[in-house]
Amino acid sequence: MLQKKICMLGSFSVGKTSLVRRFVESLFSEAYQTSIGVKVDKKVVRVNNEDVTLVLWDIHGEDVYQKIHMSYLRGMSGYLLVIDGTRRQTLEDALALNQRVMQEVGKVPAILVLNKSDLVDRWEIDSARESELSAAGWIILRTSAKTGASVEQLFSQLAAATLTE
Amino acid sequence: MSSNSIFESFLTSQGYALFESLGQGEFSPIGDYPAWCRDTFELHSRNATRVRLDEKSPFLENFLVDAEDFWSSQAEGSVSSGNWMERDKSGREVPLEAFALSLEKKRILILRNLAAHFAEQQQWFQTARDSLLAHEQLLSEIQKKEILLHCIVHDLSQPLTAISGCFNLLRLEHLPPPVEKYVEAGQRESQRQELMIRSILSAFSGDLIAQRSADKSGAPPPDLAVCVQQAIEEFSSAFKDKGVNLRFAPPSNALSDWHVVGDAPRLDRIFGNLLENTLRHSPPNSTVTIGVEDQGESVLAFVDDLGPGLPPDLPTTQLFALFSKGKGHSGKAGLGLYFCKITVERWGGTIGAETRAQGGARFWFRLPRADADAKSYERTTADEHEDSATNVAPPPTVRRSPPAKFLRILVTEDTEINRELVSELLTKRGHSVTTAADGIEALAALDRNSFDVVLMDEEMPRMNGLDATRAIRKMETSTRRHLRIVGFTGNATDEDARRCLNAGMDAFIAKPVHMDKLYQVVEYQTEKSQQIGEAQSAPDVPAPASAHQPAVEDESVAGHLHRATGGNKKLQRSLIKTFLADAPKTLSRIRRAIAKKDAQKLASAAHALKGSIAIFGAAKAVSMARGLEAMGRSGHLFNAGPQFRALESEFARIKPELLAIIPSPKPGSKTQQKAKSRRAR
Repeated sequence: MLQKKICMLGSFSVGKTSLVRRFVESLFSEAYQTSIGVKVDKKVVRVNNEDVTLVLWDIHGEDVYQKIHMSYLRGMSGYLLVIDGTRRQTLEDALALNQRVMQEVGKVPAILVLNKSDLVDRWEIDSARESELSAAGWIILRTSAKTGASVEQLFSQLAAATLTE
Repeated sequence: MSSNSIFESFLTSQGYALFESLGQGEFSPIGDYPAWCRDTFELHSRNATRVRLDEKSPFLENFLVDAEDFWSSQAEGSVSSGNWMERDKSGREVPLEAFALSLEKKRILILRNLAAHFAEQQQWFQTARDSLLAHEQLLSEIQKKEILLHCIVHDLSQPLTAISGCFNLLRLEHLPPPVEKYVEAGQRESQRQELMIRSILSAFSGDLIAQRSADKSGAPPPDLAVCVQQAIEEFSSAFKDKGVNLRFAPPSNALSDWHVVGDAPRLDRIFGNLLENTLRHSPPNSTVTIGVEDQGESVLAFVDDLGPGLPPDLPTTQLFALFSKGKGHSGKAGLGLYFCKITVERWGGTIGAETRAQGGARFWFRLPRADADAKSYERTTADEHEDSATNVAPPPTVRRSPPAKFLRILVTEDTEINRELVSELLTKRGHSVTTAADGIEALAALDRNSFDVVLMDEEMPRMNGLDATRAIRKMETSTRRHLRIVGFTGNATDEDARRCLNAGMDAFIAKPVHMDKLYQVVEYQTEKSQQIGEAQSAPDVPAPASAHQPAVEDESVAGHLHRATGGNKKLQRSLIKTFLADAPKTLSRIRRAIAKKDAQKLASAAHALKGSIAIFGAAKAVSMARGLEAMGRSGHLFNAGPQFRALESEFARIKPELLAIIPSPKPGSKTQQKAKSRRAR
């Protein structure tokens, strides 16, 4: 069966692990438990009448305490750049990380994930900034690992994009 | 048992599994597998001499590529995989780390089970990241508070504009003397209220800035003795109403210097809080004494009362705690003494209270003395305080004689009553006035008619004054005209001045608008606003400048700054000090971004530097910063190093010009002594 390596990238506490957990196990926990290191999960999705195994690399959030080994990205078919929509700084950090990713692996399919869409009253990324990012070529999806909103769509859309590459 | 097998058993007992690489992804176990290794990687046979580890885990498969590279390089030391999680056969997560190293020409792979220490490590990271999140949230709250404060101040200023405008209009009428007296009183009180609003703004803004940064605000250090005298003047009537006598205790050393670290508005609030607190506890016909004492490196201020003294069961620390309301809840919100404590401590001082042996309580605080440089700054700028930073136009002169020229003025203001009042004041002066309610209407009016001056409100719906100004300046690049634009703003800080100048305004006036100031700013140098082409034929008449207007080729930084600030020396010094403090940091950010090939950060830092240099003209430096920004945005950094070095040289060239504009430290000042001391070392 076709396998595609997908990396979850972004700052700490943006919801990378929660998105994977929601997608793979249909579970969500309110309590924030920080990730140390990498956890690999798998899930089969059906794309264009074809079964594809997504190998999901949930990589710890980058901050002053932990940096991402760029070797983790080897063989990556696509990635999700996850942002906490209630923390503007996570967008800037994610875009800086994206520059390093692009230098390391070149251009591969990616989606900019504005997570925590259930907390829209605390949203810090305005629609003008979203439009700017769209104009710069980003595919953007608003998701909520808590409610499950757009989570299935997120992984399916990226899986489809990796197949067309 | 051989020493080797003892060592292998020891490693196994400590959670290590050792393998020797046989090449092609195959490994031979050294010693026995630990149980966790068998359960995690399904290594069933104890006697297996060859296993393929790359097939057991995608993570390990990835790491073995790095391990092979390491073994082939014959480098010293080891290479680590970093932490990762596997699941054992029961589904339990097992934290692991892998190492590759070479021992006696053998390629060794070590897998380590981190379970024994993982919970502790997890706790460390959790605490650290929770703290980072809490810090981020606090900064975000501070920012929201600041925005809210500016909105409140803006809203409070709006009705004052109308009130002040009405009084201004009344003063233009021929009023009978008694009525004139009432009008003057009303005008005086509205101005007083305006000053109060501004001092609230600056005091709270100061608090917020201090919370975010330890930078000095650049404000002159306050004289504690002067603050005490002012507090007595302000509170004497309140004390008199309650039958309490408020007196100043003259210091034993009258010639001492009472300048301290801090700022005057917040010191006034500290004295205000202490005096209000004392007044609540002072019996009628008693005396409250306020004074200062020279204590060498610091200065002590105290307030003594003849009340009941401090509650014996209440620790002093609790007296100054947040929401502490004192015995019988006699206080108000419980914020006053808390404010005093955090402010004094932020300035490096101490605060306390005690029951006096002779009866009553003493509240005191001690602040370090201000350094000599800061005081010299105060002396050089004291005479400019009247010309507040809220106006970047020329120094005030009373100008009630008719204007030199009647002007065509476009008044852009969204609040109808303010629009009407300003229009009326200008019309009565003889000028011709057109009005617009927002930036879009202003641009339409400019399209239809010619104007000499535009008055532009900063905050308006649909299109604000800053965006409208930028649009006008953009259009001027093709028309080669320069229209004088004067901003209105409800706020009144140096930051507001900078924002207006950066957008391309020539000057700005803080609301509420005063008649004389309005006339001065609007009529200032209007005769000089000519076509750039005309200005060339009339060299005695310089065209007005804006921060975004392209710098005249070869124009000195001083010349550009003079034009951009309308000659306001205080603002010039403030801009230079801020720039010289920030620019080296921004240059470091650019250097780091280039070293790390971080295009995004390069673009962001170069953009920031470009904006701040543009205020000083410095076309060459602006162009270099713009080039670096473009490189950052495009992601092509190959020429960024040489460009950055050129920018550094240009900065080094401009710096002495800027330093020449601000006063140098006086001989014997602390700064100079520190510099000498550094040179001596």
